[in-house]
Amino acid sequence: MKFLQKINRQYLLILIVLMILISISGYFLLRAIINKEIREDIYEKEYAIIQEIKSQNNLVNIYPIIETKEISKKEIQPKSYKEIYLMDEAEGETEAYLEYTNSVEINNRWYLIKIRHSFLETNDLILAIALPLLLLLVLAFAFSFLITKKLNQTLWKDFEENLQRIESYSFRETGKLSLKNTGIEEFNRLNATITKMTGKLRADYFSLKEFTENASHEIQTPLTVLLLNLEELLQQNLSETEYKQVVSAINAAKRLSSLNRSLLLLTKIENDQFEPDETVSLNNIIQQTLQEYEPLLAAKKLKAEFDSKQKFFVKINHQLAEILIGNLLSNAIKHNMRNGAIQIIIQQNELKICNTGPENALTDKTIFNRFTKEKSASYGLGLAIVKKICEKHDLEIHYLKNELHCFILYSKS
Amino acid sequence: MKLLIIEDELNLLETMIRFLARENNVCEGALSFQTASEKIGIYEYDVIILDITLPDGNGLQLMPLIKKYNPDAGVIIVSARDALDDKISGLDLGADDYLTKPFHLSELNARVKAVWRRKKLHGKQEIRFGEITILPEKREVYVHNKKLTLTRKEYDLLLFFISNPGRMLTKESIAEHLWGDYIDMADHFDFIYTHLNNLRRKIKQAGGDNYVQTVYGMGYKWTDE
Repeated sequence: MKFLQKINRQYLLILIVLMILISISGYFLLRAIINKEIREDIYEKEYAIIQEIKSQNNLVNIYPIIETKEISKKEIQPKSYKEIYLMDEAEGETEAYLEYTNSVEINNRWYLIKIRHSFLETNDLILAIALPLLLLLVLAFAFSFLITKKLNQTLWKDFEENLQRIESYSFRETGKLSLKNTGIEEFNRLNATITKMTGKLRADYFSLKEFTENASHEIQTPLTVLLLNLEELLQQNLSETEYKQVVSAINAAKRLSSLNRSLLLLTKIENDQFEPDETVSLNNIIQQTLQEYEPLLAAKKLKAEFDSKQKFFVKINHQLAEILIGNLLSNAIKHNMRNGAIQIIIQQNELKICNTGPENALTDKTIFNRFTKEKSASYGLGLAIVKKICEKHDLEIHYLKNELHCFILYSKS
Repeated sequence: MKLLIIEDELNLLETMIRFLARENNVCEGALSFQTASEKIGIYEYDVIILDITLPDGNGLQLMPLIKKYNPDAGVIIVSARDALDDKISGLDLGADDYLTKPFHLSELNARVKAVWRRKKLHGKQEIRFGEITILPEKREVYVHNKKLTLTRKEYDLLLFFISNPGRMLTKESIAEHLWGDYIDMADHFDFIYTHLNNLRRKIKQAGGDNYVQTVYGMGYKWTDE
């Protein structure tokens, strides 16, 4: 849920609860006030009745509102209020009344006075007062809600824009992250912190990138010196043993260099240092790579079959796609046997590369790790690179052993 | 031919100079961007070998200078960065070739000669070795004035050998020259043998000698000894 939505929803909820509470308490308050007024009215009436009896000895009787009668001492009732129901002759309905009863002594004679007040009147009064009040309240709340909502939208607009800038920001872009000044202290503090943090991260990212690249490249130069001198040594008149030693030293240096290159490539993939992706047809890349590897296939007398009736498109950097396919195919050649076969099948968003090879299966879980190798002269980085490329492009890769060794690559989406 | 080698690693510079000077070339070295730009401005070179990472500047920035003062020079960029980094920008700036470190001296030699032929001689040069004549412009090979029909790989192989006469070439360096960097599969050098055999056979059929010596089954040498 969005922040504004959440705040609006909560605000609305609070308003509704508040309104209910105000209505209920308002109702009781109003009732209490009216009740007090009624009692005062009743006392005034009682006073008037007593005066009437005192001066004129006249018993006032207005049914059903006032009843007065003389009583004997035994019939004296204490002062009391109660709710009663009387039949309204005119309308033929029972009606609720508040009945006040009191006994008073006037000139040594006792009188019972009953004064009644219709509840219907009270309710009408409450309604008449409460309705407009309630209406005003609802209007006030509605206005307050709308104003707050509008206000929130304006205040959070800059924040929203900054959020978008942060979301779309990438370290590779030129320039630092720039955030809009919102004019709100808290937001500006947040902006300052984020700008500072991203600046630091960006600097770290570049220095790490530069360090890895430089370290990796600097290694190649002494390796070149090493190789060139070894090669020069090879030009001397060497015995077979000496010759073999020099060649094996050359090969070791070459391997070191290629290992270094692979590690650099892995780092670069991890750091997303490649140009943006494009839609690449794996069919085309496989076709090209097969052509390129033709001498290798021929040397081992391998038969390569490519079933490309379907198309497999991947959103990926072109060079990475070439590396991905190149590594998988060279693997299929390397771990193959003489007169063996390679099967490449493309189905709906799935690529299967299978090759003949030794009986024992590899383990799906570990072969994609760095430096896992099974009795071969490779460095165990080829598949780690493949895996890394897959991870970065929403691709899944698995190893499967049936009659052939198979690598299955499919699109997650 | 006159060469300028720009390389900040003294060891490497010396090795390259020592090697290239042996082929009757005049070699000069520059250890820094500064020295290199001075030399480019004053002297004229046939081929310039340029390392990109220099302590006081990016070697690529020498390209405009070379284009201005040494427009006819062939330029080979030598870099530790591989195809994924600088190759395209280097060639875009007008370099003629690109070599990734580490490289073989025989490879450097072949590239230097190829660039020199292309740029300075405009391909109009015959390469002779005994009865064998190569016309690089037309990619044609004659043995006793009889034209040979070679495949591309056989032609490349022959040219590579003849560019490095008397030099011991490892199978790895030949494979790399013919098929490029991607061949890191040490157990797959059999296929050189096929191409080499075909080449030998074709030369022999045309009446030529076999100049290829196998050295301990690990490398080859083109020699008339």
